[in-house]
Amino acid sequence: MLRFRGLMTGSILHALPCSHHLLIALLLALTLPTHPATAHSEEQQQNHQHQAPPQQQDQTASVGLDERLGAKIPLDLVFRDESGKAVRLTELVTGPTIILPVYYSCTNVCNYLQAGLARVLPQIKARPGTEYRVISLSFDETENPQQASRSKRMYLTSMNAPFPENGWRFLTGDAAAIHRLTAAAGYRFQRQGRDFIHPVASFIVARDGIIVRYLYGTSFLPKDLSLALLEAREGKVGKTIRTVMDFCFSFDPKGKTYVFNLLRVSATVVILCAGSFLAFLLLTARKRKQRNTEHT
Amino acid sequence: MNSADQTHPSENGGFWSDTGKSGITSWIFSTDHKRIGLLYFYSTLGFFLAGVLLGLVLRIELMAPGRTIMGPDTYNAVFTVHGVVMIFLFILPGLPGAFGNLVMPIQIGARDVAFPRLNLLSWWLYISGAAIILISLFTGGGPPDTGWTFYVPFSARTGTNVTLAVFGVFIIGFSAILTGLNFVTTIHRLRAEGMTWGRLPLFVWSLYATAWVQILATPILAVTLVLIMAERLLGTGLFDPAQGGDPVMYQHMFWIYSHPAVYIMILPAMGVISDIIPVFSRKPIFGYKMIVFSSLAIAAAGSLVWGHHMFTSGMSDTAILVFSFLTFIVAIPSAIKVFNWVSTLYKGSISLEAPMLFALTFILLFSIGGLTGLVLGAAATNIHVHDTYFVVGHFHYVMFGGSGFAFFAAMHYWLPKFYGRRYAEKPAVWAWALMFTGFNIMYFSMKVLGLQGMPRRYYDYLPEFATLNLASTIGSWILASGLVIMLANLFHGLLRGEPFVGNPWGGATLEWSTPTPPPTENFMEEPVVTHGPYDYASLKFELPCLSSKQQDQANQETA
Repeated sequence: MLRFRGLMTGSILHALPCSHHLLIALLLALTLPTHPATAHSEEQQQNHQHQAPPQQQDQTASVGLDERLGAKIPLDLVFRDESGKAVRLTELVTGPTIILPVYYSCTNVCNYLQAGLARVLPQIKARPGTEYRVISLSFDETENPQQASRSKRMYLTSMNAPFPENGWRFLTGDAAAIHRLTAAAGYRFQRQGRDFIHPVASFIVARDGIIVRYLYGTSFLPKDLSLALLEAREGKVGKTIRTVMDFCFSFDPKGKTYVFNLLRVSATVVILCAGSFLAFLLLTARKRKQRNTEHT
Repeated sequence: MNSADQTHPSENGGFWSDTGKSGITSWIFSTDHKRIGLLYFYSTLGFFLAGVLLGLVLRIELMAPGRTIMGPDTYNAVFTVHGVVMIFLFILPGLPGAFGNLVMPIQIGARDVAFPRLNLLSWWLYISGAAIILISLFTGGGPPDTGWTFYVPFSARTGTNVTLAVFGVFIIGFSAILTGLNFVTTIHRLRAEGMTWGRLPLFVWSLYATAWVQILATPILAVTLVLIMAERLLGTGLFDPAQGGDPVMYQHMFWIYSHPAVYIMILPAMGVISDIIPVFSRKPIFGYKMIVFSSLAIAAAGSLVWGHHMFTSGMSDTAILVFSFLTFIVAIPSAIKVFNWVSTLYKGSISLEAPMLFALTFILLFSIGGLTGLVLGAAATNIHVHDTYFVVGHFHYVMFGGSGFAFFAAMHYWLPKFYGRRYAEKPAVWAWALMFTGFNIMYFSMKVLGLQGMPRRYYDYLPEFATLNLASTIGSWILASGLVIMLANLFHGLLRGEPFVGNPWGGATLEWSTPTPPPTENFMEEPVVTHGPYDYASLKFELPCLSSKQQDQANQETA
């Protein structure tokens, strides 16, 4: 299946001369089922780079995403918020934080990305602003707080549900700060005229700035997001049921596998039970026979 | 089931008369394995007949192109119920539940199964599950229309009463697990003195292999069905891609159980055939050890081939290659059995009585079904004939031509033993001939239709398929009339027929050494086994047609 998807996106790469080819390819790959999404899409992403025609490789070689799970983003960076005020990341990253690298004048996938998030945020049980926060960060250093503020109004309105202003911040900043942040996250993008070529992905950091999870694509699953936020919440113990769920379903993105392999564990238990039942039947039968012969 | 009780067939009542309870409670609360076996027999037979009626209705709809007697929705419901009833209510519990219970404890020289109460519970679970499935047909959104496989995403979305039907199947699964546990323990623990593993009748061996499959595979079905219910009731999204789930995972889980289940259906049937062929060939079975080995090998290898149902569902080429290879591996032990049965016939003194006719038919039909199974097991041809009538033809050859005919063979071979009266031979042979003819007309047409490209599970088809479909429908009527004659003759014979005493077939297994019908605890005194199950040299002749003097003479000659 993976192979087919790879081929499909690969052929589209060849067919489209448009400068957005990587974006489209990524989009195609990333909007596919996201169940073991991290694993699949990462592989596909690598595939795309391999499959890109040579003449395009120069342009796109510097575009991509290298997962830096466990790495720390610099929290001392200063950006401007929607009102033009300077804010330090430490003030904003006070808990699990979803960071969306976008640019506000983007006419394409950045909108889908933010709209996709806006669609599921009302379904997240955690309280925005206090228990988690979303940050849209423009990697276009020419953009200004007015554009950020317009974006903010648009997405908060599109949610159709009450959402605290403080829960989703829209930042702009200078090139140095932007590049320090994106480099720390392994996020590589490139300007192309007025537009950018960039991966469609977001990432979640814990309060200490450690990257705990990358989310690919423009559509989010409420459960994925909740789980990622849960993972990012350090030091706090959730409700028991959540802790159990967290244990059973926590995904190890580095090993691309679930930490607790339910199927393997239950299969082992079943086979052990059946095996010991058979051993019991065989071994005790011998004893009984011995006892019988002793009697006679 | 009580008509049999009221019109008591034999002067020597055996287990029929010896009961503390009366009326229906002497049956539904009995812990006697023979009574439970008959309970299973009549309940599975009842569901079989219901399934047959549904099948006939399906064939009438398909008699001509276009709408004949029902629309697409009704057709979907009818083929689903036909499949669910036939698979879960007839074939799976049929041979192990009915004839395993009736015969197995006697064959190993035991007084009963290891856990008689658990045995009764198994039947109760089975009948409760069946009742729930029946209720699901008439309540909620109507009978399920998903096919017996309950594939997601449709089974998670359809408005029909899938949840309740699936719950019924879930309950029946427990019945199978308990029966499996009970049989394994019984075979290990309750063998009579001298009944070594090498002297077990092959029917017992096949039940032993089956029981392990039941124990190991059925829990997976239970889990899968619970997940469907969770999907429908709680919207867990495990199989829904939109929520991060995977529908192909359902197919894996379903077939991890359901393919081994195919061997739950066919292994006991092979056991029946292995017991009948040597008796009517008057020759010890050829290659006893290899038949035992092949039963275990089929059970083991058969648990690893589920992926061949999913060649077109989206799997890696490597997986397809491995599953295809393993499927071909299963053909080896199956072929070992067929060759051994044929070798048993070679130079035997074959008497073509009804049980033997059904047993020989099994070999032929199972071989046709098995070989066409290889067409489906090979990845390339599978993609060509996937989801066509070729598949329908194939599994009816194996399941009906195989397990079904083995069930009929067992009915003719063993039921007289428990009733003390027998059927008339001539009508039985006529019935067999009709069924054999009808069966092949009906299902061979399907195979050809499949190769021509007619897809399965539609109530309508292109006009070019009309002739063979009409032939198939006519075949179904011939088959059904044979079935009616067979059952009428059999039950008339069991209640009013000639007496059946002693060992008229001349079998060497233990059930032929007890009185007919067997007493409640099977044996007058604990048997001591001194010879193998197919050792006819040590057998004493008790043919009713011979006088006692002639019998002594015959016995001296063989000695």
